[in-house]
Amino acid sequence: MSVFSKVLVANRGEIAVRVLQTLQAMGIATAAVYADPDANSPHAGLADEAFSLGGSTAEETYLDRRKIIELALRCGAEAVHPGYGFLAENPAFSRECAEAGLVFIGPSPETIELLGDKIRSKEAAVIAGVPVVPSSPMWTPGESLLDGLSSQIGFPLLVKAAAGGGGRGMRIVERVQDLETALESANREAASAFGDGRVFLERYIPAARHVEFQVLADSSGNTIHLLERECSIQRRYQKVIEETPSPVLNDDLRTRMAASAVAMAKSAGYTNAGTVEFLVDAQTGEYYFLEMNARIQVEHPITEETLRLDMVEWQTRIAAGKLISLSQEDIRPSGHAVECRIYAEDPYSNFAPATGRLLAWRPPSGMGIRLDSGVAEGQEISAYYDSMLAKLVAWGPDRQSAIGRMQRALQSFPVLGVTTNIPFLIRAIAHPDFRSGGYDTGFIARHPELTASPESNHLNGAAVEIAERIWRSAGPIGGSNMSGQSSAGPQATQGPWRGLSKSTFP
Amino acid sequence: MTTRRLQQLHPPESTLVGARYQADIEIAATSQGRWEGQVQLGDGRTTPFLALRDGQQVHVWLAGESYVFAPPIPIARAHRSAQPASDDVVSPVPGVVMTVLVSAGDAVEAAQDLVIIESMKTEHLVKSPRDGTVEQVLVQEGQQVERGVLLVVLVGVGEER
Repeated sequence: MSVFSKVLVANRGEIAVRVLQTLQAMGIATAAVYADPDANSPHAGLADEAFSLGGSTAEETYLDRRKIIELALRCGAEAVHPGYGFLAENPAFSRECAEAGLVFIGPSPETIELLGDKIRSKEAAVIAGVPVVPSSPMWTPGESLLDGLSSQIGFPLLVKAAAGGGGRGMRIVERVQDLETALESANREAASAFGDGRVFLERYIPAARHVEFQVLADSSGNTIHLLERECSIQRRYQKVIEETPSPVLNDDLRTRMAASAVAMAKSAGYTNAGTVEFLVDAQTGEYYFLEMNARIQVEHPITEETLRLDMVEWQTRIAAGKLISLSQEDIRPSGHAVECRIYAEDPYSNFAPATGRLLAWRPPSGMGIRLDSGVAEGQEISAYYDSMLAKLVAWGPDRQSAIGRMQRALQSFPVLGVTTNIPFLIRAIAHPDFRSGGYDTGFIARHPELTASPESNHLNGAAVEIAERIWRSAGPIGGSNMSGQSSAGPQATQGPWRGLSKSTFP
Repeated sequence: MTTRRLQQLHPPESTLVGARYQADIEIAATSQGRWEGQVQLGDGRTTPFLALRDGQQVHVWLAGESYVFAPPIPIARAHRSAQPASDDVVSPVPGVVMTVLVSAGDAVEAAQDLVIIESMKTEHLVKSPRDGTVEQVLVQEGQQVERGVLLVVLVGVGEER
């Protein structure tokens, strides 16, 4: 069954690779676009054709609507897949694609506009009978403030971007005197990340769980849900670890939230794959609509793993006007899936972004392990784009086995040259509060031991000794220089290290 | 034991290294500037490692942690190290200076925003470590900075009039 003959992927990194892989499996010709720093990145190499966007910043490359549409037309693409971020939820881009005769793989511009406006989307939720969190009208720069806005909400409160997602343009504000700076900073960040700087205030619900429902809707209005994803492990309001099913939902709550998600999608006139995000108060079992994301989510693979379906394939088919052949009764999950986002950042330094050359990048494999990656060994990781390098996903027949597989995989994932959050992920996955499932969005802040510098121990001492040996072994190292030595036992003691003979290193 | 020639740049060291550890290090293979093998710990467990040298740095992956070592930085360049003096305010991230919020001579409070750095599409607010006075601002808006670069110097404690 033919859908499109050629599709252009207007994104970079792991999601561009992820989308290209499905398109190729469907027999669709593929085109990629890339910024100068990405000229040698995997997504550019994977596509059948790759076109330079000329430039480095997001604004002059992956956010340049005109360039991308021109390239799509020139290469004969019939459709554009936007991935997530960049232009994925930009209604102007969706509209301009349609005007140029290109199919935008996502919902209609009107729906993107509605859901991108967090105020209007809340109204749509209320109309659909879905509970919502109290929030203010939109703030615009220069608007004299705020007493009215903030007094309705109370402190602490959240500043959120109207076009937000992934924590960009979001600030938690404790005191009224910090509000203006936070609004202005969030406004600039949102303008840079989304091309839309509008922000508003929302009540902050501490100790909440973040649970979202995946939905699929076709052009005939047929709408189903694909169950939930638990996304409460976050830093800077950005998800780090996700799992499905959620440990916090019982069958009753799951059924009610799923019904709300479908009602919300229908109220918004949604087509294609989308996600309805909720905050859940674990104490009361109350839930509140947060927003609906009109795109594929970063964490979609865990749903794919438990339902054994391909979300990008469904997106593509729905965009081509095909109807969903699944009914709600067909959605029967199997087992448990966990995703860890591998970020280029320093967990011991408040998750500060890290850059550099990936000197070593050796992903793990094995039973139940999947890696969605957009990088390759030798690649330079720049400060121009998002710091997420890859997503490691583990599936198991139950939660414990999925977590066990994730733990093993994280411990078998050498990365050198760019600092990553893998050591943090290893600790987080092992933490009793994670193992019990009794965590919330305050998990990382509540457990400083997760981000404390590691104590010196055997391992640290061994690392020092390895480094010293390498440093002393000057001279070129040949490709055939395999020593194959084993240790000589306690009698060969030199310094603190038993079994290190000088012949061990060339 | 031999004298240590390298300083651990990452992760930050929490306590003394150089005590006597019970461990064997077995180098199974080296190729193309990489070293691989096993570390056998005192309790009999073994764990693999991967290490390489990159210019003046040695990188070691061991048991899920990635270490970076380098020779100690000379004093003259120490302002770029991870241990700034308390009067120095350094960039926590590599990125671009978006906004400079203070000038020399300004009085600042602890936790007041001094500079905004954008990195990987996220803004980082660089805050004053204490109450004080700005002696010098060393960066301009639009300037690219590396992590650890000096942004603002405060007048030293006790030097204020």
